[in-house]
Amino acid sequence: MLTLENLSKHFGGVRAVDDVSLTISEGEIFGLIGPNGSGKSTIINLITGLYVPTAGKVTLDGWDLTAMAQHERTSVGVARTFQNIRLFGNLSVAQNLWVAQNGHEQRRAHFLSRWFKAGGEHAPDVEELLRFSQLHSKRDVQASALSFGEMRRLEMARALASNPRVLLLDEPAAGASLEDGQLLAERIRAVRDRGVTVLLIEHMMELVMGITDRIAVLNFGRKIAEGSPTEVQANEDVRAAYLGSSHKKEKLIHA
Amino acid sequence: MADASGANEATAKMDYFFIIDFVQSLVDGLLFGTTYALIGIGFTLIFGVMRKLNLAYGAAALAGTYIGLAAFLAFDAPPPVVFLASALGSGLIGLVVYYCCFRFTPTSYPMASLLASVGMLLFIDEVVIHLSHGMPFPYPSVFSDATLELGDIWIRGDLLFVFGMCVVAMAVLFWLLYRTPLGLATRAVSQQPRAAQLCGIDSTRVNALTFVIAGILGGVAGAMTAAAVGVLSPIIAMGLTVKGLIVVVIGGLGSIPGAIIGGLLVGAAENVFLLLRGVTERDIYVMLLLFLFLTLRPGGLFGSTAGRD
Amino acid sequence: MDFYFGLLQIFGVHTLLGLSAYVVLLTGQVSMAQAGFYAIGAYAAGACTAMFGMHILPAVLIAGLLTAVVACVVGFPALRVKGLMLVVATLAFGEMVRLFFFNLTWQVERGGEMVGPNGAEGFRSIRYFPENGWEIWQVTGFIWIIVAVIMVALWWVDRTRAGAVLRAVGHDETAAQSIGLNLTAVKVGAMTAGGFIAGIGGGIYAHTVTHIEHGVFGVLLATFAIAYPILGGLGSIFGTLIAVLFIQGFLIEGLRFMGDWRSLLFGALIVLAMNLRPTGLLGEHAPRLSQLFGRKTNDHDKSLELKEAE
Repeated sequence: MLTLENLSKHFGGVRAVDDVSLTISEGEIFGLIGPNGSGKSTIINLITGLYVPTAGKVTLDGWDLTAMAQHERTSVGVARTFQNIRLFGNLSVAQNLWVAQNGHEQRRAHFLSRWFKAGGEHAPDVEELLRFSQLHSKRDVQASALSFGEMRRLEMARALASNPRVLLLDEPAAGASLEDGQLLAERIRAVRDRGVTVLLIEHMMELVMGITDRIAVLNFGRKIAEGSPTEVQANEDVRAAYLGSSHKKEKLIHA
Repeated sequence: MADASGANEATAKMDYFFIIDFVQSLVDGLLFGTTYALIGIGFTLIFGVMRKLNLAYGAAALAGTYIGLAAFLAFDAPPPVVFLASALGSGLIGLVVYYCCFRFTPTSYPMASLLASVGMLLFIDEVVIHLSHGMPFPYPSVFSDATLELGDIWIRGDLLFVFGMCVVAMAVLFWLLYRTPLGLATRAVSQQPRAAQLCGIDSTRVNALTFVIAGILGGVAGAMTAAAVGVLSPIIAMGLTVKGLIVVVIGGLGSIPGAIIGGLLVGAAENVFLLLRGVTERDIYVMLLLFLFLTLRPGGLFGSTAGRD
Repeated sequence: MDFYFGLLQIFGVHTLLGLSAYVVLLTGQVSMAQAGFYAIGAYAAGACTAMFGMHILPAVLIAGLLTAVVACVVGFPALRVKGLMLVVATLAFGEMVRLFFFNLTWQVERGGEMVGPNGAEGFRSIRYFPENGWEIWQVTGFIWIIVAVIMVALWWVDRTRAGAVLRAVGHDETAAQSIGLNLTAVKVGAMTAGGFIAGIGGGIYAHTVTHIEHGVFGVLLATFAIAYPILGGLGSIFGTLIAVLFIQGFLIEGLRFMGDWRSLLFGALIVLAMNLRPTGLLGEHAPRLSQLFGRKTNDHDKSLELKEAE
């Protein structure tokens, strides 16, 4: 469904993403892992349009995302969260979900009722998301006053508010404890059960290995492995990238 | 036939005079443009270390120039002393502006320091107007009766002096930035504020010093502007502010070479428009030039910080 | 009595000026172009009534629409640059407008008299109100009806999704883009709405003073425009209104005995306010009506109450 074709992004001489191709199928939880600076976040920024690729393209069900403006990608069905949470701290929890209703169906509403009707923060789909993210009791609280965990939940709910087809999660477990990780895993599965495909970027290995269907591993901007969690764990290159730098250097020299 | 050739000769003569006028305007503009370059550098320096715009900068430069004028009126000080007092006075006011508008306003809310600096602009402007009763005063200029003749182009001695002083100020600045520990710290803060702080650089001190240095440059620019005109009046504050900002936009916010090129460009363009369109319309065209740059090259000539705030 | 009506008129036009900047500020853009928009509205409305003999209402409306179009056109290139560069761009635009009117001479003959903008002389005899026998209370009422209509409209917008979207863009542009908002459309939209309000404000202003000239529409007026909403706080339109009452009522009129020193005081006040309360009088967040006029629902307030109870 979501396809990356020979995607590259160079910053000056630095090849942050180098000729990466991936295909993510509908209904999958796909993990993207790699050491720090391996280009994971850059890939999310390329899919959502924060960066323009140096070469290659991204398609979603045949739609060429790279040819679209950033905001148009939302109506095709792309949504994301940020590694360092970016909520609208000056709005209430419910309003954060309300402003995010920019999906394809939602855009078809009449201009006036879409923009100039009051009270939309009580709309049924906002209520549903509030319950889904267990934030119903906090619906009128300023987003900046939430706890860290609540902020993470709200950001994910906000991403879901446009009824996306694919959700890109940029290190959703950063700063979370192991138990939080368990809850997060359940939450991500619940998102998938809503019919949303998930691309998960994560450092917490327990989480990634536990819930993903397939994994791709990046190192220095290149894809070095792809497969099921067990396949990837057994992969020699992956171990090298994560464990021994000396081992890796040798390999690089021989290569 | 004879009539026609006579007419041709006349138009040729007209063309020649026009070209001379044009080149003359261009040269004068380039010389005077160095004062704009200094103001632009001041804005850029402050932006570099704080990522903030100090809109009170032009007014501070003007106030410093008035301090120099006070030395002139009270003690009949010789021009060099007047210019020095202008520069130092403006540096001191720069420090006051830093503590009043930037030191204690929250960095997370950029509107606060911006509006505070606008408030400071009004405040300084009003103080100057009150103390001077809004009257223009004669300001000492040097070499105003000397001219350098290059064929039909005459270069005014006072403008040449202005040019020389500004170049010296820039040279001192470059020495300060690239040859001293203070300059190193300043450049470190402007590249990576957080990292610089972790290395033990006291960013408050660097910021304060940058305001002083920028203030001194502003004072030199203010003094030279007044010296070139021979008169000092409060209305030049707005000119300094707006022209300085235009220079910065054209050169690219944060780039010192950009500010220098931008300053010369604005100075030259301004004088050429003055020749072509007259004094009342001159500034409209300078603003249009700015808009052109904003649309075609929003990052400025040397800017890599386009859209960064 | 006339004095107080005059004061109310000043409050009215300045409230419109402040609200025009408020709309743009909600999206996080500091526009110093509001004085320029105000000038366009003033000259346009003045031309409609004094030169072409129109009724005041269509004249003010035309002024608003024309200014909105200009604001929209300026918005596109100006909003390509962000943050501080936008301040510079709009400051320059405002000066450009002022200089344009400084150079504009365009007069027609009406009733044996030449009327219209006359360069540095300005635009004299915009005497629609006295010529048509309006009493001062009628003029004041007319102004405040328009102010009330615009305030109600803005108050309503603040309760709708459009208002939340403006605030969202003002808080975090990257996040706003990631949830599918078209930044250019939102910002240009806010600029256009701000231009419309400023144009109406300027149009009315021209008729209350009958004589306008370019010098009025300088950087000082642009500063007033952004100072009202920032000093009042971007939480709601009432902050702007309160700031206008305070600055125009107390600082400018109340301290009249201080003469020219008031401008100095205005500058000092801004500096002081930004150090002590940088997010403005009413704060940055939109307060709910229940918070303003009734029981407090905010957790923060509750904890304060608890502390006081102990």
